[in-house]
Amino acid sequence: MSVDASTVHGLPVSDTNRRSSSRGVLMGVYWVTFVLVAAMVAIPVIALVYGSFRTSAPGLPGDWTLRNYAGLASSGVLSSMSTTLVIGLFTSVLSIIIGTAIALILHRTDFRYGRIVMPLIGLTFYFPSFILAMAWIIVGAPGGIYNTVVDDMLGMPWLRADIYTAAGIVFVMVLHQVPFVYLTMRGPIIGMDPIYEEAANAAGAKPYEVLLRVTLPLLGYSLISSFILTFVMTIEQFAIPALLGIPGQVTMLATQLYLLVRFSPTDYGLAAAIGVALSLITGAAIWAQRRVTTAGRLTTVTGKAGRIKQIPLGHWRWAANLLCFGFVFLGLIMPMVILLYTSVLKWFTVNPFDGMYTLRNYVFIWESGSTVGSFTNTLIVSGVGAAVGVLLGLLCCYFTLRLRPPGYRALDFLVSLPFGVPGVVLGLGLLWAYAYLPLPLYGTLTLMIIAFVTRFLPYATETIGGQMVQIDKSLEEAAWVNGATRLQGVGKILLPLVSPSLQGAYFLLFMAFFREISSAILIYSVNTSVISISIWSFFEQANWGLASALAVVATLIIFVAMALITRMVSTAGRG
Amino acid sequence: MSISIENLTKRYGPLTVVHGISFNVAKGEFMSLLGPSGCGKTTTLRCIAGLEDANGGVIRIGDRIVSAPEQDVVVSAHERQIGMVFQSYAIWPHMTVAGNVGFPLAIRKVAAQEVERQVDEALEIVGMRHLRDRHPSQLSGGQQQRVALARAIVGRPRVLLFDEPLSNLDAKLREGTRTEIKRLQRELDVATVYVTHDQEEALSMSDRVIVMDGGRITQAGTPKELYRRPANRFVADFVGRASFIDVTRMNGSGWSTAAGVRLRLDDAGAPPATRYQAMLRPESIDICHGAARGKADESDNILCGHVVESHYLGAYTEYLVEASGAKLKVHSRSDFDVGAEVTLRFAPEFCRLVALGDEDRV
Ligand SMILES: Nc1ncnc2c1ncn2[C@@H]1O[C@H](COP(=O)(O)OP(=O)(O)O)[C@@H](O)[C@H]1O
Ligand SMILES: [Mg+2]
Repeated sequence: MSVDASTVHGLPVSDTNRRSSSRGVLMGVYWVTFVLVAAMVAIPVIALVYGSFRTSAPGLPGDWTLRNYAGLASSGVLSSMSTTLVIGLFTSVLSIIIGTAIALILHRTDFRYGRIVMPLIGLTFYFPSFILAMAWIIVGAPGGIYNTVVDDMLGMPWLRADIYTAAGIVFVMVLHQVPFVYLTMRGPIIGMDPIYEEAANAAGAKPYEVLLRVTLPLLGYSLISSFILTFVMTIEQFAIPALLGIPGQVTMLATQLYLLVRFSPTDYGLAAAIGVALSLITGAAIWAQRRVTTAGRLTTVTGKAGRIKQIPLGHWRWAANLLCFGFVFLGLIMPMVILLYTSVLKWFTVNPFDGMYTLRNYVFIWESGSTVGSFTNTLIVSGVGAAVGVLLGLLCCYFTLRLRPPGYRALDFLVSLPFGVPGVVLGLGLLWAYAYLPLPLYGTLTLMIIAFVTRFLPYATETIGGQMVQIDKSLEEAAWVNGATRLQGVGKILLPLVSPSLQGAYFLLFMAFFREISSAILIYSVNTSVISISIWSFFEQANWGLASALAVVATLIIFVAMALITRMVSTAGRG
Repeated sequence: MSISIENLTKRYGPLTVVHGISFNVAKGEFMSLLGPSGCGKTTTLRCIAGLEDANGGVIRIGDRIVSAPEQDVVVSAHERQIGMVFQSYAIWPHMTVAGNVGFPLAIRKVAAQEVERQVDEALEIVGMRHLRDRHPSQLSGGQQQRVALARAIVGRPRVLLFDEPLSNLDAKLREGTRTEIKRLQRELDVATVYVTHDQEEALSMSDRVIVMDGGRITQAGTPKELYRRPANRFVADFVGRASFIDVTRMNGSGWSTAAGVRLRLDDAGAPPATRYQAMLRPESIDICHGAARGKADESDNILCGHVVESHYLGAYTEYLVEASGAKLKVHSRSDFDVGAEVTLRFAPEFCRLVALGDEDRV
C-alpha cells in the first residue's frame, strides 16, 4: 500500500483528551427521556394512590382517610372481586386450551386450510373487543337475533340464552383472547428444536404420544406465561364486561371502578382504592410471568426450526376443521356480517326479509361534524401518538440496553410499569392527577396521547428492544474504532439496523391507539372524542345502526392498515 | 507508532480482571496476548481500543496518552486512530463491502473520489476487489474476514488490534489467513496487538508473546524463549505439550528425581521457588526398545520405563511412558507395544527447570 500525503490518520485530531461532546448530547437526551417517562408513569400512579386516601373527588377539599380501603372489604367490592377472578380464570383456561389447540392444528398437523385460517386469526386479533361485544349483544341479548329465532320462529324457548351473564362475558372474552394465545404459542411451537420430538419418535412413541408426552411438556413455560398474560388481559378488560355486564348486573372490578366515577353516587376515593387493588393483582401476575419466562429461557429450546413430521389428523379432521373454522366464524365473520346487516337497516329487525334497507347511517357518519371530528381525532391521536411512542420507546431501549448510564435500571423499571396498570385505572389516575397539576391538559388530545403512549410504551420497548438486543454490540464498537462518535454510531449503524422494528412498533401502536377505549373512557371530553368512544356512545344510546356503521368503517380501516403492514413486512423481509 | 501500557487495571464492579499489567509494543512489532479463555486478553485489547474505560494505569499510543484515568484523561475510541478486527468481524449488514471498507474514511470526511480509490486499494490487497458491491450476507466467513481486514487497514491506522480473528474460520482457511495477516502487518509496519488463545497461532506469527493468566502477565518473550525456557509450569503447559518430573536439588550441585536418578538440566536463570520440576517436550525425547544398555552417555540424560498408553496420530505416535515416578509424553515414529520396556534419552538443553507455584500442585 503506497503512502501518500492525504492519509486519514494524518488529519489533525482535536487535542482535547476528553470525552467528546457526542456523549454529552446523549446524556442530555437521557435525562430528558428519564424525566419524561418518570412523569408519564409516576404521575398517574402517585395520583391514584393519593386519591385512594382522600375523602373527596379530585380537586375538591377533603381529608385523609382509610375509609376507601375499608370499602374494599364491603360485600359489593368483594363480590365483584370474586366475579373478576372467576371470570378471569375460566376465560384464561378456555382460551389457552382453544388457542393452543388451534396453534398445534395449524403448525403440527396436516390440516389443509392453514393458509386461510392463519390470516383470519390475525384479523381476529385486531378486531376491537368492544365491537365484538356489540355484535354479540345484537345476537345474544334477550331480544336479540338468536333468542328471537329460537323462541319466536322455531318455537323452542328452552334454547333461549342470555349474553348479559357471566357465562356470556366468558364466551365473548374467550373469542377475543384466543388469537392472543395463538400468537404467543405459535412462536414456541414453530421454533421448538425438532430433535426432542424426533428422539421420542425414534424411541417408539406414536405421534399423539409425542405430542402429549414431549411437545406439550416442553411448551410448559410458554403455556404458563401465555396463561398468566391472558389472565391479566382478561381482568383488566373493560369494554366487554362493561357492555355485557352492566345490563346484567355482573360487575367486575374494572366496571365497578367505571361506575363509581361515571354514575352517581360517585365515589372517586373508593374507585381509586379499587384501582390500586386491581393494579396490585395484575402487577403480581406480571411479576410471576416475568419469573416464569426468565426460568423458561434456560430450559425451553428455541432456535433452528426443522422440518417436523406432521401429525396426520385422520379421523379427527372434521373436529379440527370445526374448531378452526368455528372459531373464525364466531369470532370474526359472523360479528362482521351482523354489524354490516345492522348498519344498513332502517329499523332493527331479526328477519332480513322484513328489513328496510338504507345507507343513511353511512351518510350520517360522513355528514355529521361530530363523527368526522372523532375520526380526525383518532387519526391524530394514533398517528402522532404512535410516533411519540416509538421515539420514546427507541430512546428507552437505547439507554437501557446500550448506553446504560447511571439510573438506567430505574428507567427500565418505569417503562415496564404500565404493563401492570389496567387502562381504566390509568385513566382514573390521570383524572386525579390533572385535577391538581397546573397544566391545562384536561380535556385535550394531548392528554389522550399521553394516556395512550403511557399505556402502550411497554409494547414499543418490547418490540424495539427485542430487535436491538439481537444486534451485536461489536457492530457499533467497530464504528467507534473507525472514527465514528457515539451519535454517529447510533445514526449510521444502530438506527438502520433496528428500523424494521421501528416500523413494526409504529404500526402496533397505531393499531392499539385506534382501538383503545379503556384508558380513554374516563378522560375524553366532547371535543376529544375518538372513534371508539363515539361507537360506544351511539351504542349506549341504543342507536345500533349508527354504532354498527361506525364500527364497520373503523374495522375496515384497521384491516386495511393490517394488510398494508403485512405487505410491507413481507417485502422488507425479502429485500 | 508504538503502544505503551503501564500498570493497566480494569475492574468490573468488585471483580478485578486486569491487575496492573505493563508492556510495550514497538513500531512494526507483532505482539500476541496469549492465555486461556477468561484471562483478560480481550479486556486488555478493548482498553487499548478505548472500548472499555480502564480503572487505572496509563496507555500511550505513539507519544500521546490516550487513557490515564488517574489524571482524568480518556480519549474516545473514535479519536484513537486504530484499526481493529473483531472476533465476530462486525461487518455492518446494511452496507455493501465497499461501504464497510470506506466507512473509516467517509466518517472522517475524506473526499468521495479518494475514498473510492483507497477502498479499491485496500480490497485489492485482501483480494476482494471483485466483490466490492456485494452485501455481507452474500459472503462466506472467510470473505467477511477479509472485509474486516480491509476495513482495519484502509485508513492506515497507527496501530492494529486483533481479537481472535481466526477463531471463526475452519482449519484450512486459518493457516492461509495467518500468513496473510503477518504479511500485511509487515508491509504496514505498525505496532500490532494480537489476542489469541491458540498457542500455535501466537508462536508462528509473533515477534513477541505475552502469556497471561488470571489478569496478570506470567511471561513475556520471543516464541522461542517461551517454548524452550518457560518461566513456570503454567506457561510450559499452555505453550506446547510438555511433561514434568519432580526434581530436588542434590546436596552440592545438580538435580535428582524423586527416585534418585540424577538429571542434567538447564537451570540457568530459573526463578527461586519452593518446588521445582523438570519440563520435557515430547519431541525432544528419543525413545528406544529395551532397558538401558551400558553406561549413560556423558552428556545425555537416560531414564528407563515402560509404555502405558499409545495414541496413534498419523505423523507420529504419542506414547505415555512411566519412568522415574512420572508419566512422560514422548513422540516417536517407531512402534512400541503398551507394556514394553523402553529407554528414554534427552539432552540437558531440552530439559528445563521450571518453578512450581504453590497454587499449581497438579
Ligand atoms: N462486561 C463485563 N462484566 C463483568 N465481567 C466481565 C465483563 N467482560 C468480561 N468480564 C470478565 O472479565 C474476565 C476477562 O474477560 P476477557 O477479557 O473477555 O477474557 P479473554 O478474552 O481472555 O477470554 C472474564 O472473567 C470475564 O468473565
Ligand atoms: Mg476474548
